[in-house]
Amino acid sequence: MVLQNDQERTEHFNKMSLKFSEFYKGKTMILPKVPIRDLGAFSYWYTPGIAAVSTHISKDPESSFELTGRWNSVAIVTDGTRVLGLGNVGPEAAMAVMEGKALIFNYLGGVNAVPVPIRTRTKEEFISVAKALEPAFGGFNLEDIESPKCFFILEQLQKELSIPAWHDDQLGTASIILAGLINALRVVGKKIPDARIVLFGSGAANVAAAHLLMAAGFKGSNIIIADSKGILHPEREDMDALMLNNPWKYKLAMLTNGERRKGPSEESFKGADVIISAARPGPDTIKPEWIKTMNSDPVIFALANPVPEIWPHEAREVGARVIATGRGDFPNQINNSLIFPGVFRGVLDARSRGVNFKIMVKASYEIANFVEDPTEERIVPTMENWELYPQVASAVARATVDEGLARRTNSTEGFYKIAREIIEENRNAYRKLLDGNVIKKLPEMN
Amino acid sequence: MDFKLELGKLEENDIEKVLDLVLRLKKLNQEFDSIFEVNEDSREDAIKLLKGIAADRECYFAQVAKSKGKIAGVIVAEFRKRVFYLPPMEARILEIYIMPEFRRSSVGQLLVDSLYTECKKRNIDLVTAEFPSLNVIALNFYKKMGYREIVSVYGKQIKK
Repeated sequence: MVLQNDQERTEHFNKMSLKFSEFYKGKTMILPKVPIRDLGAFSYWYTPGIAAVSTHISKDPESSFELTGRWNSVAIVTDGTRVLGLGNVGPEAAMAVMEGKALIFNYLGGVNAVPVPIRTRTKEEFISVAKALEPAFGGFNLEDIESPKCFFILEQLQKELSIPAWHDDQLGTASIILAGLINALRVVGKKIPDARIVLFGSGAANVAAAHLLMAAGFKGSNIIIADSKGILHPEREDMDALMLNNPWKYKLAMLTNGERRKGPSEESFKGADVIISAARPGPDTIKPEWIKTMNSDPVIFALANPVPEIWPHEAREVGARVIATGRGDFPNQINNSLIFPGVFRGVLDARSRGVNFKIMVKASYEIANFVEDPTEERIVPTMENWELYPQVASAVARATVDEGLARRTNSTEGFYKIAREIIEENRNAYRKLLDGNVIKKLPEMN
Repeated sequence: MDFKLELGKLEENDIEKVLDLVLRLKKLNQEFDSIFEVNEDSREDAIKLLKGIAADRECYFAQVAKSKGKIAGVIVAEFRKRVFYLPPMEARILEIYIMPEFRRSSVGQLLVDSLYTECKKRNIDLVTAEFPSLNVIALNFYKKMGYREIVSVYGKQIKK
């Protein structure tokens, strides 16, 4: 019954999306942000005057962050190999999704995000193109790249670029998982160093989450990773293939599962406090009887979309205390949009050279602490909490200063003021475009 | 390394477990080159082969490293005559495999060193190793220990 509603709703959104996309022909545009009173203005906005700016930057490339829009520009780079749940649909098809992402970047974070779907075949080619694009941007958001290619690309770009590289499917999801987990444990009264966590599914998000959880003080020995091949442990048959093709997951086999538990994936539930599932869409991927084998007050994150691995009511019936999903129509939506606009606002405001796990942990705590009295039904904020974004931004910006990555320093309060002002100005400008009918009204649905 | 290792000769009661390690090595070779597709029905023959190696200590050197009774790694080498060349004998490493948990802890070096000790006893001063050309992990392992390429084996599959 619920599935049917969900299908109907999805079909409705599909129709709207197609109709509106045809009507608007793109979701963002470039508008001037400087006054052009007459054509003489181009003598300083363009040639000959602009040569002086160019000469200045040529002598001091870092000044490109102050004399051009680079400071607030982010490239959303994808090769279109793993777009939403659609798979490898190619870069042209990915463009529509990247435009949507750019819209969220701008609307929630005041960031000028540019969709850049690229036609590359190998990871080396992708890295080479991304590096070539660096001079135009203050940060890279990598998006919808197949695993394990995405790990190689992110790691290499983080090493080689002097601007932050973020892969939202890894880092964004991992950060919001951590934020939700911090509050879920507060609700059930369990401590981070004691919590026994199962990461169910070993795709990009859960592999990144495992590394982030350890950076946040969770004990590797208390974490178990399970996937379609069973529980991950150093003697599993596929270890050598992982060593070659997915060294990040290979490394986790050594660092996690202290008791060296073996067996099918459901064995991982026994004695666990928390299940974080980013696995095959449900509703029968997680069986209620598995939850019964968990410790008291189980916490279940069933994050598969569009259908969670187990319906929340089914998990509740067998004793789950806190249940989170990836959906907005249930309580506790684990949603990347709560994290990436604020993170990018922060790294851009600090003109950061990079982003790391320590900074992500700060961002996660900021989100968790934003919820004053977490409850079973409210462990994370919702997207409507506008105050969240400048708050996350200022915590992130300050963390980049503490990590020695910032080009520009300020206090947390100072960064908060900057972020809030940028986001508000952007929102006001947008409102004016909307109110002045520069942005056309939505067409009627037939 | 934060584990204690014991080295010892391959004994008959270790053969089943050692075979698992050897098969892992063969599957790793398969990852690099499909010409080394592992024959899943080979277990019985492989056990016979390992039993022969364990029994023939004159011609073979088969050593296992154990940690708390668990096999951490294995090396198998064959002592060969070089009829046309000098020096007249060589020790050829045929298999070496370390379980993932025990890697990056010099277990491989320890096993190779145990072969060197045996070679000294036998007055053999040439050690060679064979592995698939595309297995870059093996290639790097031996290069790091000062080995260089001395023989090439070329292959081609012909139509049946």
